[in-house]
Amino acid sequence: MNPAVLICDDSNMARKQVLRSLPEQWHNNVQTAQHGAEALTILRSGNIDILFLDLTMPGIDGVGVLQGIQKLNIDCHVFVISADIQPEMQSKVLGLGAKEFLRKPIKPDVLHANLEKHGLL
Amino acid sequence: MNQLRLTEDEQDCLQELINVAMGQASDQLARYLDSFVYLKVPSIESVDADSLATTLDQQQSAMAVVSQGFFGYEGIRGEALLVYQDEDSERLADLLGYEPDELSKDEQLIDISSILTTTFLNVFASQIENQISYSAPKLLPSRANSLSEHLDQLTFNWDLALKVNINYQVTDYSFNCNMVLLIPETAINNIKVVLNRILEEL
Repeated sequence: MNPAVLICDDSNMARKQVLRSLPEQWHNNVQTAQHGAEALTILRSGNIDILFLDLTMPGIDGVGVLQGIQKLNIDCHVFVISADIQPEMQSKVLGLGAKEFLRKPIKPDVLHANLEKHGLL
Repeated sequence: MNQLRLTEDEQDCLQELINVAMGQASDQLARYLDSFVYLKVPSIESVDADSLATTLDQQQSAMAVVSQGFFGYEGIRGEALLVYQDEDSERLADLLGYEPDELSKDEQLIDISSILTTTFLNVFASQIENQISYSAPKLLPSRANSLSEHLDQLTFNWDLALKVNINYQVTDYSFNCNMVLLIPETAINNIKVVLNRILEEL
């Protein structure tokens, strides 16, 4: 059973970079969101197993999504993929329940290794 | 040719390359200031070459400009200007908390500008498989027309000014600055080719 995946990033290119890094057979179960509010709507209504989340977005940003996930008690694995690589930001998102902090631009081998690390691959 | 004329995909691709570069530049700035920098999505606009000098000159009595040349392969070169309004360079001085000593204030402004410029351009260049070297950064004298005079002395013709509006918020302080990249047409064409190569690979 392939996991249900949500990719949230305001950049089309960044969403494609994540998609391209996922196993081919997962592709038919991937949804995308362009900002935090859209992601939270999808997370509320659907059973998303894995969320790949950008931080710097207009409106509700990645931190806002993580807070929403906690508040709504949504059960999913969150991997933050961000250009904001400051150590303080990394520890903040890990503190808010993200499984990993991965730096942009995402590389397929890095994503695979991290999915494997959490038993998702 | 004064405009970038990018397709929607090219624009999105350039924006993402700039976001990644900006993220690492902010990380360096945060380390330098020993603080945390709140990052916003930087806005990008291209500015007509002729109107830039006029526009900036009008404001220049109340601003500081740090200029630094950069050189890469395949025609990628240009001049990076970091433009601060006076109130922002004053805020920066407060933030760094040093004595009201003109020389050290100027040096700090040059240091910070160079950290932002070189980190930004290094990361940007590595994403388009290029490598960049730099000339020494220089603070332009604060008098009328010093920017136009400086631009006239550049050893290349630039066709496009890419203006990246940066807003940094550092804990209790916030300051704004504009990074203006002056680049020649050959560099623009090279960047477009690389953007399309990246898009095709996706």
